[in-house]
Amino acid sequence: MIGLPAQLTEPAPTSPPPDARPVLEVHGVSVRFGGIDAVADVSFAALAGHVTGVIGPNGAGKTTTFNVITGLQAPTSGRVVIDGHDVSRLPPHKRARLGVARTFQRLEVFGSLTAYENILAAAEFHRSWSRERRAPREIAAEIIAQVGLGSVVDARVDSLPTGLARLVELGRALATRPRLLLLDEAGSGLSHSETEALGDLMLDLAASGMAILLVEHHMELVMRVSSRIYVLDFGRVIAEGSPAEIRTDPVVQAAYLGVEEPAP
Amino acid sequence: MTLFLSYVVLGLVTGCVYALISTGLVVTYTTTGIFNFAHGAIAMIAAYTFWQLWQGWHLNVVLAVALVLVVLAPLFGLIVERILMRPLEGAPIDLTLVVTLGLLLFLVGLSNLIWNQQVGRALPEFFHGNGFDVTGLLISYEQVVAAVSLIVVAVGLRLLLTRARAGIAMRAVVDNADLLAMAGGRPIRVKQMSWALSCSLASLAGILLAAINELSVLDLTLLVVDGYAAAIIGRLRSVPMAIAGAIGIAVGQSVLFGYLPQTGFTDRIQNIIPIVVLFVVLILLPQSRLRTASFSGVVPPRVAGLRSSLAVGAALIVGAAVVSTGLSGNNLRIGAQGFALALVLLSLVLLTGYGGMASLCQMTFVGLGAYAMGHVAHGGSWLGVLAAIGLSAAVGALVAMPTLRLRGLYLALATFAFAAIMDSAFFNESLGTGGSLFIRRVRIPGIPTQSDQAFFVLTCVVFVACAIGVLALRRGPFGRRLVAANDSPAACATLGVNINSTKLIAFTISAGMAGLAGVLYGGSPGAVSSADFASLVSLTVLLLARVGGINTATGALLGAATLTAFNVAAPHFPRLGELQYLLTGLAAISVGRDPNGISGRIANMIELFRAAGPRRGPGSYLAGTPAAAFIAEEGDRLASPAH
Repeated sequence: MIGLPAQLTEPAPTSPPPDARPVLEVHGVSVRFGGIDAVADVSFAALAGHVTGVIGPNGAGKTTTFNVITGLQAPTSGRVVIDGHDVSRLPPHKRARLGVARTFQRLEVFGSLTAYENILAAAEFHRSWSRERRAPREIAAEIIAQVGLGSVVDARVDSLPTGLARLVELGRALATRPRLLLLDEAGSGLSHSETEALGDLMLDLAASGMAILLVEHHMELVMRVSSRIYVLDFGRVIAEGSPAEIRTDPVVQAAYLGVEEPAP
Repeated sequence: MTLFLSYVVLGLVTGCVYALISTGLVVTYTTTGIFNFAHGAIAMIAAYTFWQLWQGWHLNVVLAVALVLVVLAPLFGLIVERILMRPLEGAPIDLTLVVTLGLLLFLVGLSNLIWNQQVGRALPEFFHGNGFDVTGLLISYEQVVAAVSLIVVAVGLRLLLTRARAGIAMRAVVDNADLLAMAGGRPIRVKQMSWALSCSLASLAGILLAAINELSVLDLTLLVVDGYAAAIIGRLRSVPMAIAGAIGIAVGQSVLFGYLPQTGFTDRIQNIIPIVVLFVVLILLPQSRLRTASFSGVVPPRVAGLRSSLAVGAALIVGAAVVSTGLSGNNLRIGAQGFALALVLLSLVLLTGYGGMASLCQMTFVGLGAYAMGHVAHGGSWLGVLAAIGLSAAVGALVAMPTLRLRGLYLALATFAFAAIMDSAFFNESLGTGGSLFIRRVRIPGIPTQSDQAFFVLTCVVFVACAIGVLALRRGPFGRRLVAANDSPAACATLGVNINSTKLIAFTISAGMAGLAGVLYGGSPGAVSSADFASLVSLTVLLLARVGGINTATGALLGAATLTAFNVAAPHFPRLGELQYLLTGLAAISVGRDPNGISGRIANMIELFRAAGPRRGPGSYLAGTPAAAFIAEEGDRLASPAH
């Protein structure tokens, strides 16, 4: 369970206010594996104070795009700009130090540490490269409560069920106090009420000024929290717009939503 | 010109042998993901077997060759695959390393036991030294055989991989074993075939090498290592690149051998040119992609808390003090060296157990420590101790820096190459072959370190202090960082951690600790020789650490204790010494099935006594890990199409 009280009505902002600045800009990024374009000329932005959704069928290039943004995958071409700085040539750890944190679709927890130690370690990492002066233990305790891992703090993470391990990853990312948070299917493996609480947490974080980029298959969650959505298919952005626009976009329906259910 | 050409021809012949070796390595690496460190030992034992059949039992030479290459070697490959390699499916890299190194040591031990090394053996020339003349250049039939073998193997392999059904299945395994299985193929069959093929190739190389050189267990095993450089040039994937690399290295070596003066330093380094090439090629490899989490599923024992490590440490010191009163001077010296060895293993607990990096040159650092202690301020000084730690740590940092960005296997290979280079180029020279360096014990006011009893207790105290320190390091921020960098380098990097510098610090501390161990290791008997720091000893040390349990301080002590027990018993059982490699190798092989070693066993038993719920046994690689959870989750997703 995620510890935040469920807020019943907090409608997502429908359009970005004019003063919102892009924390992340992706310019014409392409990734080519052998002869296949995993990502082809993708451009988008993520604004401070907003959740930006990225959706698309499996294999659309969402995770590869995340890897390009965080520096784990070198793009064939294109640029990644964070806070106005071109970071295309920076190694992953230097990008993280500019305030970028992420979770992984295929779990990347520190399996031999406990849940608490995972988050404590991240807080310690953050302290070592930032001006943060608060004790890592204090921050870790706070985040444990925030993401609702209180009951499993002393369990080794490789023995946790997937849903909880995903929360550990989220907590670990939050412990570095990011300004840009990339969530790669943070909701899968969670129950309905946990997903609700996760959505609330994302809106709260966005309200505090964080830019969140969310890759998610759970359509209800994406539609609820995102103020802008990009749709990827076969490595290309095929549509972008507000949740309402995406719901009714015929191209999207054909490529993705149409398979599942007609828009209301 | 004729002279130059004859060097080239000589080089070409050796190159063909190296090429056969590297081809065999590439075949098993690509199909099974295991780099076979024992490849050289397999070649060696095949050469001996051939000698036994041909010279020992007077079999027909063609029959003997056929028997080794077509029957015995493939059979051996099948056995190795079934017993050793199959349980390693999905195991972490350092575990596969230890098992193949264990096989290497086991085969070396076995050959020493069967074929007494005091007796000289040589293969008579196949064609009575006959050959033919090409414009003044004598080419022997043996050289022709080597070249023809390589061409036959290269063309045969090419046809197998592109034309034959079995070869296409082999390529499929490389691409995706699971898909092949789903399509009705049998990955196990393919892996069996590649081990059989690889062992045949190793045997062919071994017989050819033995025909060119003399039969010697160690020389043959290590000569084959020269072929590893070529395999790395082919990035362990490309057979043509490996063959080209092999021939390039060997021709270069042969020409240099011909023109460099045969005296002094250049003479000594000529033999290690391939190893130097290996080291350089490794350094030049591009940065590998950050590894994502690997779920080995091996749950290490709990890390001891400060209170329990203090209590156990105090008990150990008291125990050592009590026992020391009843030991002979000789056994006290062996015991002190045992504690020094435990300290070496402890340095591997930090590096390999926690950090997941395998070092095959730990005894080189021990040797550097001993060297510094023996030379600085006329020996016996505190400055020497500091110099020992400093020198080993600095050299450790220099070795690690260019290779840490590479995958674990390459780091292991680089340390292996470094140990071999230091072996021939430094220790043999500075300590003299067979000669000794005297190492005086450090003078501490108030402690009679010259007394064997006091020195025994002192080494125990040093070990305990370091063990408490290592455990404290593991429980603290640096330990979390190191473990995290091993569990998931990718996640670590995205949290702002510079993984390379974290690894570098661990490697430096570990090397420094080995340097300190060198002070005690040499100080106990009072002298060291180059044989103490031979590259094979470094392998043994890593294996002992695994056998004892590489992720606990107790494991380090237990690993050292097994060897010390050997040394204590050796004078009473003359043949025991011969069994040392054999048994260490055997124990290391068994580690493949029980990754936490003896100390892990003990920890499990203690947990059972505490009756704390059901525990996972060793061998269940995936149970309860995120991997299992991931599979479960993916299963869910497959069952219910898109949310």
